[in-house]
Amino acid sequence: MTDASEHEIYRAAIRGDRDAFETVIRSFSRNLFAIAYGILQNREEAEDVVQDTFVKAWKSRWRVRDAEKFPAWLSTIARHRARDLARRRRPEPLPEDFESSETVEFESAGQKADLDGEVRSALAQLPELHRIAVTLRYFEEQDYGTIEQTLGLTNGALRGILGRALGLMRKRLKPALASIG
Amino acid sequence: MATIHEQIDELLAADLHDELTAAERDGFHAHLVECAECRQAFQEGKNMNRILNETIADKKADLGFEQRMISRFRDRVPKRSGLISLVADLLRVRAVQLTAVAALLLALAQMGKMITGESVVPALRNENLMLMSELQSDRDTPGESRVSGVLAKTDGRSKGDHLMAQNPPAPPPQDKPSVNAPKPQTEALRSVAKTKTNELTDEKTPTSAADTVTESEYAVEPSASSSANSVAANRKLVRNATAELEVVSFDESIQKITDFAAEDKGYVATTSSEKQANGKLRGEVVVKVLPDNLDRFLQKLRGIGELKNQALTTEDVTKAYFDTESRLKNARLMEQRLIEILKTKSKDVADLLEVEKELGRVREQIETMQGELKFMDSQVAFATVTITLAEKNMNIPAAFLLKEKAQLSLYATEVEKTYNEIKTLASPKVQITTAQIDRDNTGRVSARLSLLLAPEESEAVINKVKGMARVENFQVQTQRVSQGGDGLGENAKTERDKVELNITLSRDEQEQSLQQTTLRVRTSEVNEKTKQLRTIAEQQNGRIRSSSFSRDPNGREYANVSLRVPMKNYNALMQSLNTLGKVENVSVHRDDRPNAQIDEASAPADVSIQVYSQGNIVSEETGVWATLRRTIGQGAAALMWSARMIGVALAFLAPWVLAITGVGWVMRRVSRARRERKQAAEDKTGLS
Repeated sequence: MTDASEHEIYRAAIRGDRDAFETVIRSFSRNLFAIAYGILQNREEAEDVVQDTFVKAWKSRWRVRDAEKFPAWLSTIARHRARDLARRRRPEPLPEDFESSETVEFESAGQKADLDGEVRSALAQLPELHRIAVTLRYFEEQDYGTIEQTLGLTNGALRGILGRALGLMRKRLKPALASIG
Repeated sequence: MATIHEQIDELLAADLHDELTAAERDGFHAHLVECAECRQAFQEGKNMNRILNETIADKKADLGFEQRMISRFRDRVPKRSGLISLVADLLRVRAVQLTAVAALLLALAQMGKMITGESVVPALRNENLMLMSELQSDRDTPGESRVSGVLAKTDGRSKGDHLMAQNPPAPPPQDKPSVNAPKPQTEALRSVAKTKTNELTDEKTPTSAADTVTESEYAVEPSASSSANSVAANRKLVRNATAELEVVSFDESIQKITDFAAEDKGYVATTSSEKQANGKLRGEVVVKVLPDNLDRFLQKLRGIGELKNQALTTEDVTKAYFDTESRLKNARLMEQRLIEILKTKSKDVADLLEVEKELGRVREQIETMQGELKFMDSQVAFATVTITLAEKNMNIPAAFLLKEKAQLSLYATEVEKTYNEIKTLASPKVQITTAQIDRDNTGRVSARLSLLLAPEESEAVINKVKGMARVENFQVQTQRVSQGGDGLGENAKTERDKVELNITLSRDEQEQSLQQTTLRVRTSEVNEKTKQLRTIAEQQNGRIRSSSFSRDPNGREYANVSLRVPMKNYNALMQSLNTLGKVENVSVHRDDRPNAQIDEASAPADVSIQVYSQGNIVSEETGVWATLRRTIGQGAAALMWSARMIGVALAFLAPWVLAITGVGWVMRRVSRARRERKQAAEDKTGLS
């Protein structure tokens, strides 16, 4: 799909063309799912968020002035909704809580424990945007440019974000990685 | 390379995600060869990338995810019908929204105007303007054939002209003149029609009555060959006139009228007169004159006196007359026939009777009709003039009656006694019509009497009553009532009617004093001096009305005494008061009643006296301490006052301050939350 035809579809969707909007759903639902999952770390909730996002987007689509920013706008809605949901679910700030419990688990379970859980906890400790970037990249394996467009980032910003995210995770998971290595 | 080493995380990630340019990758890999640390990191990163790919891959959305999203979206957002969705979409456009709001406002304004009825006026005004311009254009081009209804109203004359110019063949004229159907074939004819209409309007003018008939005949039937005179002669006209005259002398006028009637070959039919109470005559004369002389006769009548009123009527009985005449002719023929039948065919008695009966009926008809004709003839032969005569100054009164009403208010010490005294005055010439005495529950007594006095006795009786008690008020009202008319009757005599006298009696306690005095007397022994005051009052014919005594905490004593003395004793009383102590604060108030006829010497004067002592405690109101105390007291009072003002100001401002602070607090909270969120987002991006 070229940029021009994409923009055409966005514009049609904004005007209220349902077919165009469904095309948008088809091409963006996975991205939004990745974003929502990045924040919530829960598939069912993430799916609900994506669902709500599209309904809300349809209802307030006329607010979008610039068709180019349509994807970024969609992801903003999804992020807000996911964040609302997360806040409702966990009123207390999670980082310390998470870290302590995870470290306890990590130590008690021994070095060869659930690697999956470790990765997840490492991921959970990343800042929100970093988390989203990681899920987007590993879920859909899109190139950096596409992800930047989805998140509304400036050109080249994602490289720094992902580098830092993976670096942080690498340091967290160092013992596990070393054992594997 | 130092930069590569510092950026190891970024480059590592990009390398793993295949996002490095060829040059970057070469540089990166070259560095890895050199740097053991980064090599280690690279190894770890590769491992982690693998783990991430493995662990996260199964968390991603399943295959049917998009389809599920779409179908759920369809469920939750049902398709709307074309028009509604179009309208809904349209309403989302800002320009459409603005237009809608503007239209709504305009509609509201229009509705308001409609309700208040404002819009109607300008519309009408416009219409009028339009009509005016139309009219203008019409005048400018007289040949134009536009004749609208409104135009006709605004300028009827011009419309008439237009009509005449346009209606070429008018319908043939009827037997009666009609304004609406002129026959304008020539200019001359049209002018005739115009004059005719003018004259028809003032039909009542007496001189033109006969002329009107002839001229209208001529105008309507210009082709008729019969001359005006013959038409007039064949007409049967009943002319009647009424006139109302004011004359100096009734009898003289009757004489003159009789003379006039004789001159004009007429006669006086009836006379009637009536004498008024003031000796003036009023009456009616009915005169019959020949119709041709009627106008002249009326002219003469004006010479007799002032013409107040005149009316002349003409009734055309031509049709009725000739109808009756022809019916009479027919009836006579019928009579002849019946007589013939009676003569020739006299066989059957029943038939005969029938014919006789019919003959009787016809003859009766003939007689009635003959009578009618005779009556009409007499009516036509003579014009009836009814003259009402009234002598001048009809309304001068015959006599005057002087009615006198007197009102006397008295103050008596003993109301009942005076009341009974007045009652003893009763005699044939002094009649008491009402007498009433009221006593209310507070013991107040008042009485009211009404007397009718013979005129010659009235003054004596009134003076006698006046002597019985103090007079508060005396009023006499005289009214001259004219009998039988109004105006100034120079010769009418005046009679005195009986005098009506109303007396009210009240106790002198209720009388308002002529003078009120208040004063204070300072003395050391209040009780003693008050007793003394009482004796002084008694000596001076005074009466104590109220007294009180009090003592305050400082030991000061007050006695308040109010008393009433006759004015003549007032000065003596004031003199003797000086013996009681030091007289202070004298104030005198006097009610002067300039026009009241009162006896000043015996009029009451009220004196309120306060006898008081200084008290046995030395006043604390002087000296340094007192001054100091006062100053502090005043200062404290001022302080309290200002505190109260501050309280008021606080109460005044507090709700506003609270409200504004609350709003400010909420706004600060909101903006802070927003800033924090933004900050967090920035932090996260900034971390990288």
